Amino acid sequence: MENPNAHIDFLESGPLAPFKKWAAKWSLWPCHFITSCCGVELAHAFACGYDGERLGTLNLGIARQSNFIIIEGTITRKMARALQFVYGQMPDPKFVNVIGACGERGGIFWNSYNITHPSDIVPVDFFVPGCPITPEGLLRGVRALQDKIMGVDKTTIDFKKVELPFEEQLEERMIPTSPKLYAPTPEIKVDIKREVDWDFGKELEDKLKKELSGLYESVTITGVNRIAIKTTPGNLMVVAQKLKEMQFDHVKSVNVIQVPHERKFIVEYMAASYRVEELMPVLVTIFTEIGIKDPKLQSLMSVWESANYSERELHEFFGVLFDGNDWMGKKFLLAPDTPDLPLRKEFKIPEERYVFEKGVPPEHMVPIEPPKDLYLPIWEEFIEKAYDSDEIIVPIGPHHAGSGHLRVTFRVKGDRIVDAIPEPGFVHRSMEKLAENKLYIQNIPLFERLAINDPANMNLAYVRAVENALGIGVPERAQYLRTIMAELSRIEAFYYDSGIFSLFFGHTTGFMYCMAIREMIIEALMQISGSRSGPSFIVPGGLRRDIPDMVLELIDNMTFALKRRMKKFESIFVYNPVTVARAKGVGVLTKEDAIRCGMVGPFLRASGVNYDVRKIAPYDAYDKVDFEVTTGDDGDCLGRFLGRLAEIKESVKIVKQAVDAVKGIRGPILSDDILGEYKEAASDIKGNFFRVYGNLVLPKGEWTTITEAARGTTLFTLISDGESNVPYRVRVISPCWMNLRGFMEAVKGERYADFWAVYGSFGYFPPEADR
Amino acid sequence: MKKVATPDYTVADKLKTHVAALSTAAKEVVLPLNITTHYPRERKRQPACFRGFMLFDPERCISCFQCSFVCPANAIWMKEAPSGRYYPTVDHGKCIYCHFCVDTCPGGALKTTKIHDIAFRTMDEMVVMTEDMVEPPAIIREDKVVVDYVIDKEDLTLKRTKEVDELIVEIAPSEGVPMVSVCVDRGSCIACKVCDKVCESGAVSSVKDEEKLIVKMEIDPEKCTGCGLCVKECSMQILRLVRRE
Amino acid sequence: MIDITGLVSTILNNQVNIPLLYVIYEFLLRIPVIGSIVTFLLSIIPVFDVPIIRLLIGFVLWKPMWVLLIIPGFATLGTMLLILPWLERKLVGRMQWRVGPREIAPRTRGSIQLLADSLRFLCQEVIIHKDAHRLYFLQFPFLYFLPVLLPLLFINAGAVDHPLVPIETPYALQIMVGLISLMPVFIMGAGWASNNRFAFIGTVREAFMYFAYEIPFIIVILAMIVLFKTSNTVGVVNAQGSYWGIVLNPLAALVFFIATVMATSRLPFEIPEADQELAFGPFIEYSGIAFGLAYVMAYEKMYVLSAIMTMLFLGGGSGPVIPYLGDLSYGIWFVIKTLIILLVMVNLRGVYPRYRLDQGLRIGWGAMLILALIALVWSIVIGVVL
Repeated sequence: MENPNAHIDFLESGPLAPFKKWAAKWSLWPCHFITSCCGVELAHAFACGYDGERLGTLNLGIARQSNFIIIEGTITRKMARALQFVYGQMPDPKFVNVIGACGERGGIFWNSYNITHPSDIVPVDFFVPGCPITPEGLLRGVRALQDKIMGVDKTTIDFKKVELPFEEQLEERMIPTSPKLYAPTPEIKVDIKREVDWDFGKELEDKLKKELSGLYESVTITGVNRIAIKTTPGNLMVVAQKLKEMQFDHVKSVNVIQVPHERKFIVEYMAASYRVEELMPVLVTIFTEIGIKDPKLQSLMSVWESANYSERELHEFFGVLFDGNDWMGKKFLLAPDTPDLPLRKEFKIPEERYVFEKGVPPEHMVPIEPPKDLYLPIWEEFIEKAYDSDEIIVPIGPHHAGSGHLRVTFRVKGDRIVDAIPEPGFVHRSMEKLAENKLYIQNIPLFERLAINDPANMNLAYVRAVENALGIGVPERAQYLRTIMAELSRIEAFYYDSGIFSLFFGHTTGFMYCMAIREMIIEALMQISGSRSGPSFIVPGGLRRDIPDMVLELIDNMTFALKRRMKKFESIFVYNPVTVARAKGVGVLTKEDAIRCGMVGPFLRASGVNYDVRKIAPYDAYDKVDFEVTTGDDGDCLGRFLGRLAEIKESVKIVKQAVDAVKGIRGPILSDDILGEYKEAASDIKGNFFRVYGNLVLPKGEWTTITEAARGTTLFTLISDGESNVPYRVRVISPCWMNLRGFMEAVKGERYADFWAVYGSFGYFPPEADR
Repeated sequence: MKKVATPDYTVADKLKTHVAALSTAAKEVVLPLNITTHYPRERKRQPACFRGFMLFDPERCISCFQCSFVCPANAIWMKEAPSGRYYPTVDHGKCIYCHFCVDTCPGGALKTTKIHDIAFRTMDEMVVMTEDMVEPPAIIREDKVVVDYVIDKEDLTLKRTKEVDELIVEIAPSEGVPMVSVCVDRGSCIACKVCDKVCESGAVSSVKDEEKLIVKMEIDPEKCTGCGLCVKECSMQILRLVRRE
Repeated sequence: MIDITGLVSTILNNQVNIPLLYVIYEFLLRIPVIGSIVTFLLSIIPVFDVPIIRLLIGFVLWKPMWVLLIIPGFATLGTMLLILPWLERKLVGRMQWRVGPREIAPRTRGSIQLLADSLRFLCQEVIIHKDAHRLYFLQFPFLYFLPVLLPLLFINAGAVDHPLVPIETPYALQIMVGLISLMPVFIMGAGWASNNRFAFIGTVREAFMYFAYEIPFIIVILAMIVLFKTSNTVGVVNAQGSYWGIVLNPLAALVFFIATVMATSRLPFEIPEADQELAFGPFIEYSGIAFGLAYVMAYEKMYVLSAIMTMLFLGGGSGPVIPYLGDLSYGIWFVIKTLIILLVMVNLRGVYPRYRLDQGLRIGWGAMLILALIALVWSIVIGVVL
């Protein structure tokens, strides 16, 4: 960065300067460089709600044809390479705007080990604050840039400085210490026995004891539907095989917990069943302990294919070697310059500061060197093998008009994809590590950023885990309101995915129609919470404040109003013969494959498995509303897409019922269990938020909850030591992460162009997968 | 359980769907259901609860540090004002507008505005000092028309009004439950004076017990703002926040 | 030795007949001062016995030159190129419940948007990456103009018995087909010279699609030649005196339209350039003015093909004669018809997603080929009967 204003100087030089400036001003074409969740709001800024094209800003072309990068949030270490290369590829003069707090000083991820500051990598013209930004903010950034091109370079806000009240000089005061409490030598136990009213569990416990006799150290019921089996590292494989015989056909989560002071790792696999109905809600955890030195374990990939990617990930995080997984020693989620073994407790991330000190620049200092080379996850043999068999290697992404922030390397023979190697992690923002260093309540916005287009479900999934641990209930009114929010969020997410699906087919109209429908739902969510797509509204015990009847009326109207635009969308895109031709029979995932790969959510149901957490283990008001689970038999792209459209109709039904029900229920929206003495806050937490939630401490043990988010089952495992007011370890398994395996399976053998059909049909949202 | 079947098109179906798609498109060209807000010439009206740029009222601040403690992004750092009090500064390069701070503030010193469309030139400017947060800032406004989303049972329509939307929300600041700090076990007090040092309102004083010749701390409930810092810092954990009667 | 005086008289004797121009001329003469200026201007510097300005005006109004330069030639083409992408963006925007370009000139609904875009491309850096074949990389976009612009020489924008064609030749349609068949070669050349994976895939796709649409396309033109019993563009328009080609052979019109959509890579057949899949395929490496040319070329090609379609199926420039406009009225009808075809074609972008390569090929080699053959048989039958 020799001269950060080189692009402006270029415009001002030469006799054509006025024309150059005028043309550049009205023709800022951003390149397709989606880096993170602010991309969702970017979509809205350029869709029918705000239509950035009015300003001459058209999303067309890639690096070579554009002159403007909008950095949408987080630039991870991996993405930093891409950013540098894309910037280098663009013709002069070029401009950069950063939107979203992550791209500025890191936002909620400021102390993450995997993010960088874009301003260290490329010269930035304007920063737009927000997380996520509003479309107005983005367009304001564009306007500011237009003004800058014409010669007015200034921040668009003017502060009015005010003299602060000056009373008598107070004496030097002590700076309060951090509110966080870390237990020095926490006791970590994942199998704490709990007395619960669960008859089937007792039976199952006996059955497990019988089947696994001699192989286990203990079998414990740790909660309703939760059983933990302790075994030795040597017996792990046999136990897994036995469990598989008992129809525990997939793994929902793999987890490693490091206990440094006891010099051990606890490795756990959570097995569950899709085939047997009564086993569906049950999660059987098998865990074992291994020493911290040279941690090695047999991979259970051969038993449960769905453990594959999680094992790769945990190998990178903790250095545990899963023998038998072919990705050991290779990078999967992390960049080559990410610190090694970042999730180990020895690796410390910067501490929070609470006082503004003079002389200390208000910057977070993680040394980030701008990367120099473009790292590709393919190796010599792969290339040689491809060339030997007349195939070409095509890497897609992360800067590609239709890739999102995922890189997939294909081996293509003719038009057929022979092999696909996924490379996630372009938005890996280390949520699990950050969560270990935040108060329980601070983790709410953090985990909401898993999927900014499905915020309420993510919010709910985490909050439910906390509630489950604390054993607190939720008032009925709040239950219904939370259900409404979750379902609105589900519709919102499905429409986002449908929009992307149509965009991947080159059908911009379908995309715009989806965004128009989303605009309505966002309006409702904004009326509820005050934020377009980051409500952070659901808190343990209920909601932050009550929702006025006017907003309920609006939601009620909206359930009807959606119909008209949905019809238009259906006739122009869904039942368009070209769509049907493109999606039918493509990317088929059979029931067997879907179960083997541990698919979740609508994508599992599209393959014919009747599994929905809302039915098998209902939470909130789902047992009080009437809805149906939608399944399909085809398991192809069209089936997955239509299945979700059918689910939207069910969701609308649920919202209608819930709105009707909630109108008749008056009362608190926050549970007394959590409020304690702050009873006045029962309908609005304002003023007492930190007092109520600031010092939550979860009971000792492991708490796992599964919640049906839009794209599938979201699993949160909270491990608490019972003393700290921060979690000891949080394991998040997001639906997209689970679906990635099946996604890659479905791509193989299809045509090159079908990749986008499959991609769109899985609604793969990289921030959600990468966490 | 509902089964979703994928359609299998015959030639007739194909023709029908071609016609349907084309006619929908034609209809939309003639009578579009346009929903575009022409920002920046128009501005969409946000609800009063909209979470935007925050304003700060130093009169109401009790300097309890809670906003800083609760901030998930650690965007709020407390800065010492000339008077010796600590007031929050907000780093908008980190702020995620979750407004946990606004909900936390027991004195109601922080309040929301509908300002959210700002572009900063440098990151240094994004750290907004306390002095700048007291009065509503001026932003570039090009809007002459306010757009309301009207959602009725039929459809979403836009209602345009020729006016300039007021971005400063006039709502009464809501305070938290009034609390006061009390010592529940004065016998255990070791007089480390942490509570005194951390207290900003000067409510804690040391009292000499003449009989036993030891020093004990005493909290003046009149002066106590209920910020809870002494409760948090007390090395013997003998202080409690209780409801002010 | 060329007979220049004879040439001048040929030019002056073969002028477009636009009565309005004479009306304006007479009106100008009647205004006191301007009238004398006009008379003065039209009398100075005689060259070959003709005043130079009169000669220049006469040259432009010389029928073949008028057709080539004004309607439907370069002037119309240039206007179309500036207007059509804007119209496309506006109409598709409207279809998509939004506005399209606007703020650049709010009063005229952003109609000069394309000016800004093209100026920006013009002033932007042109990157030739180090793996590209430098010479070919640069020359192909410029060479591409050749096959795109040459067919304009043979397009007849006139009506029955009022031909407006620069060059009249009995082999006009064949030459046009030949030139159009050249177009993909340059795209393939550009893609090959780019030396990029996506450009390569795009090139291969372009080549595949080329064969898929070219054969039905040629057969359909053959069908029309058989139907009109001539391949002279003047004869083609003359033959549509009572019924337009679209009435005589609607199947051929349909196939021609689909082939045009395929040839210009518009959705649903935007297969070689598939934005999401190949990021503009053959043109992925082009930047600045080179990409601007490539971007504009697609529209030029579309214009030429639509003009041929107007000529073959919509009766050329025939339509109610507008008084005072004379020959211009044919030109206007011709442009209006072409514009309608173009608008339908560009707006397909808002209606259809993109087919896969194999599906595109199947349509080309299957349905379209069969329809084209039926159209040919139909033409033979009609041609023999009539």
